[in-house]
Amino acid sequence: MAESRHPVILVVEDEPEIRRFLRSALEVEGYRSVESTAGRRGAIDAATHKPDLAIIDLGLPDMDGVDVIRRIRDWSPMPIIVLSARVQERTKIEALDAGADDYVTKPFATGELLARIRAALRHAARAASGLTTLRIGAADVDLQARTARRGDEELRLTPIEFRLLATLAKHLGMVVTHRQLLTEIWGPTHAGDTHYLRIYMKQLRDKFGDDAIRPRHFVTETGVGYRLLASE
Amino acid sequence: MRAMRTIDVMRLHPLWTGYAWAAGAVALCTLAGWAMHPRFDVVNIAMVYLLAVVIVALRLSRGPAIAAACLAVLAFDVLFVPPRGRLTIDDLQYVLTFVIILGVALVISRLVDSVRRQATAQAALALEAETERIRSALLASISHDLRTPLAVIAGASSSLAENGERLDAPARRALAQSVFDQAREMSEHVAKVLQMTRLETGAIALERDWAELGEIVGAVLARLAERLAAHRVIVEVPPDLPLVRVDAALVEQALSNLLENSARHTPAGTVVRLRAERRETDVIVTVEDYAGGLSDDELARIFAKFHRGPVEGGGTDIGLGLAICRAIVRLHGGDAWAARVPGGGTAFRFTLPLEDEPALPSEPN
Repeated sequence: MAESRHPVILVVEDEPEIRRFLRSALEVEGYRSVESTAGRRGAIDAATHKPDLAIIDLGLPDMDGVDVIRRIRDWSPMPIIVLSARVQERTKIEALDAGADDYVTKPFATGELLARIRAALRHAARAASGLTTLRIGAADVDLQARTARRGDEELRLTPIEFRLLATLAKHLGMVVTHRQLLTEIWGPTHAGDTHYLRIYMKQLRDKFGDDAIRPRHFVTETGVGYRLLASE
Repeated sequence: MRAMRTIDVMRLHPLWTGYAWAAGAVALCTLAGWAMHPRFDVVNIAMVYLLAVVIVALRLSRGPAIAAACLAVLAFDVLFVPPRGRLTIDDLQYVLTFVIILGVALVISRLVDSVRRQATAQAALALEAETERIRSALLASISHDLRTPLAVIAGASSSLAENGERLDAPARRALAQSVFDQAREMSEHVAKVLQMTRLETGAIALERDWAELGEIVGAVLARLAERLAAHRVIVEVPPDLPLVRVDAALVEQALSNLLENSARHTPAGTVVRLRAERRETDVIVTVEDYAGGLSDDELARIFAKFHRGPVEGGGTDIGLGLAICRAIVRLHGGDAWAARVPGGGTAFRFTLPLEDEPALPSEPN
């Protein structure tokens, strides 16, 4: 593992021009970048360089980007961000289901990618230390005691609402897909029952004073899943 | 593959009903002939059969026409030509009758065939002309909408590459920003052209899931935050709106195109209102703007491909946003249209059909 001042980022991308601007953007931010030009190589480089984070393009020539993610996930929880084209909506969801933490759609501004990288690195650090408390707006959530309160008022969450919140909190700031949430909360036989999620998400938003139209904490990723934004 | 099979069944089906009609027509003639028999000449009964064969040949295809002719000859011979009840013919002149009936069937079905073929050819020509018109509109739009941003990108980036060090920081930043803006705009144009093509060729399969319209609206507002910043956006989506079973990513795009369209064609500072309401069997979504107004002709054509309106404050409009919106909602079984807002402005509406919401597992609260 590299020293924490200069996290190492693996970029798996076949287009040289895209690698070029990613490299300069990453270096300006103080990251060290390692580059792979193909999927198979990328999976190997991930194992040898043990980067702090991997950026994987979904349109690789030799191997499905989703398979690269699966190979990495076999042994490492390192944060993975995928680069997807707009027509790759399906592949993007597969990549997230396979364990990618976040995505950026091409064409993107480097600022957007860098923000995602920072959030993913924070998420990894948190996952290592273990997150127990969380602040959602004016409410404090204790994940171990399974309580939520806003000032003196206790927010009474049902067991399912709490599990939904806890699953999102485990991936704080990252995208959690519908399938991941449904499987985690209701089991694999309900992986397609998105209406469950809609109903419980609405209840959760109501209890935390959030709103589907202008969400500040429970953010919708249309057709993909949800993302929880909260402070520790 | 499935489409092919459907077509085969479609072809088989009218064919057999064609033969059934032919047999029915002959049976009807036989009944008529039976009624006429004692009072009319056998030759006149032959005329009735001839009429039936003519009608079958006109309305149906060659096969049923020949079948009708043969059946007519057979029935006429066995039932009416002496010796009755047998297939033999005593009088040679009836042979001529048979030949004529058959000949008439063949001649007429051939004529009908060639007329039909001409009609098909003409329809194909019309389709080709339409395809050609769209192709040239597409080329015109690509050359117009892509050439400007390309020129800006080439010019601004070459300034940066060649004279970057002689420019001050704000100038460099402004050039780089315009490269980014134009590239993003171009990418959106290209995405729209691709999306329209995919929608038209049926390359898009709906991924329907239960979705909350409020969430889709929220995602659109977040995505368009920058573009809507200059407008006053009012959102009225009731919280108790039922769930819809849709491809949420596509509906997000349809709605986003409507909002983007209103923002682009109305002056900064004006109101854009987004409303969703439940009706009996569907949900209706309305995006209203309150500037300008469209003629009846424009209202009727505004959702058509490559229809362009005047753009406020520069920029281009590829004229596909609304067409994509309509294609998406139609794919969902809804429709999209535009109407005038009293007092000036335009309301863009689309509907999404409602389905029965599935049951939820109950949980004690």
